[in-house]
Amino acid sequence: MEELISILEEIQPDADYETCETLIDDNILDSFAILSIISELEDEYDIRITPAEIIPANFNSAKAIYAMVKRLQG
Amino acid sequence: MSFVSTAFIIFVILCIAGYYLIPKQYQWCWLLVFSYIYYLAAGPRYVIFLLFSTVITYVGGLRAEQGSKAAVPVVLLLDFGALAIIKYTNFVLGTFVGIAGIEFHELDILLPLGISFYTFQTAGYLLDVYWKRCKAEHNFLHFALFVSFFPQIMQGPISRYGQLAEQLCAQHTLDIRRIESGLYRIAWGFFKKMVIADNAALYVSAIFDNYMTLRGYGVLGVLMYSAQLYADFSGGIDIVIGIAECLDITLAENFRQPFFATSIGDFWHRWHITLGTWMKDYVFYPVSLSRWMGNFGKWCRKHFGKNIGRAMPICVGNIIVFLVVGVWHGPAWHYIIYGLYNGLIIGISGLLTKNFRSWKKALKINDKSAGFKLFQIVRTFVLVNISWYLDCAGSVGQAFMMFKDSILRFRIFGDIIDTYYTWSGSQEVTMACIVFGCIVVFIHSLMKERGVDVRAALLDRPIPVRCVVLFLLLASLVLIGNQPLSQGGFIYANF
Repeated sequence: MEELISILEEIQPDADYETCETLIDDNILDSFAILSIISELEDEYDIRITPAEIIPANFNSAKAIYAMVKRLQG
Repeated sequence: MSFVSTAFIIFVILCIAGYYLIPKQYQWCWLLVFSYIYYLAAGPRYVIFLLFSTVITYVGGLRAEQGSKAAVPVVLLLDFGALAIIKYTNFVLGTFVGIAGIEFHELDILLPLGISFYTFQTAGYLLDVYWKRCKAEHNFLHFALFVSFFPQIMQGPISRYGQLAEQLCAQHTLDIRRIESGLYRIAWGFFKKMVIADNAALYVSAIFDNYMTLRGYGVLGVLMYSAQLYADFSGGIDIVIGIAECLDITLAENFRQPFFATSIGDFWHRWHITLGTWMKDYVFYPVSLSRWMGNFGKWCRKHFGKNIGRAMPICVGNIIVFLVVGVWHGPAWHYIIYGLYNGLIIGISGLLTKNFRSWKKALKINDKSAGFKLFQIVRTFVLVNISWYLDCAGSVGQAFMMFKDSILRFRIFGDIIDTYYTWSGSQEVTMACIVFGCIVVFIHSLMKERGVDVRAALLDRPIPVRCVVLFLLLASLVLIGNQPLSQGGFIYANF
């Protein structure tokens, strides 16, 4: 989780990833940031994220992103 | 049947009245019948295309749900193939024949009303089913209503199945407050359309149609085009959303004070929002996450380093999206360059995000300050207005010539519309109406930008106050509304 938060902070520094649960709903992460995050996650965790996964429920918080990564890792 | 016509107003009143009088379980059938009457009134031939798209997408959705991998590409090809043939045959043939130096006479191809909007809506539904974001619709008539819902079929907003379908088929109870709120929204839409857009259209047509004689008026022309396009499109959407609200149906918002945007990217998050989110979900993400773009990213990382390697595919994805937006606007080179202009600005800005952060730090610029925000808003407004030269001009050459003249032969005062129209109005009065309308819209936008829900606040006022506001809105339509050129038509209904 800490590793994931450091990835998020590097891409989009202006957010509190420990507590925020509205990263998409409040436009904190825009499409540019989302794709940058996906690119990093794919490299870091050796997973493949498809367009079908890009829904607010998967990106609204660091926890949700982490859960998606774990699910895709199988 | 234009929105700005007595026939349409009677049609809507009948639809709303019957909707609440019949048994609730038949309300969706009532809407389906009215939607098809509305579309048939535009021309019976148009219905063939609407039915074609409805049937193939309905079948495609069922097949996709059953796991067919071929259904989605086949149906998308048929849907967009029909759209492409109808919309772009003359453009493609004209370009190639022109290169060969042969005279080309355009083919008489029928452009069904709203085809772009319902094609996008059906394609979005199909991909949502394929990606398991929603279940396929098994009732054909329910699906037909989702595709044809009459208020939105001409100019959007482009609705998502998951957001709209359930509402359309639900049972609705008469709510007077909701209807009153919807009526304000409709009146507000007519105000924007008739007071601002139709008056500004006089200037836009005079300046852009006579650019060889009215040289140097480009700045006034694009400022008027800004007013016209925003008031026309957002006014039309206000009417659409207001009618839906009277039917107890909530449609997606399509505008969020676009002229308060702080960047071109932000502008596209506030302008034609449903097209922007459609493009993002169904073009930008799939293209940017495709295998070949992934390989391109790896190649970039290897040659240019981690940051550029990560940003470059996203930039290319953005440029492709805006190229598609440009092509969608119309089969002409000036629209394609208009799309590229937006795509390049957003793409390059994305590429330089980290640099901007460090430059601001080095120059000690506080990007949260009001002054910096104002600078960003003005800069974005200027960049958007430059793009309007390409959007409004009839050709790339005209756009560049008008832009050049705007700098070298700048003029703003003079006889413009009085010279080009034989009419009973006056240029001064027309300009006063536009300025008045823009000031009212600006104050309304400023309040919304600050989080004030103007309509909700109005609905909480006593009845006499509400009556006066509605009377003033309607009186302004009669006294200073104008529709000599557009004859009630809306710009985006042509797309």
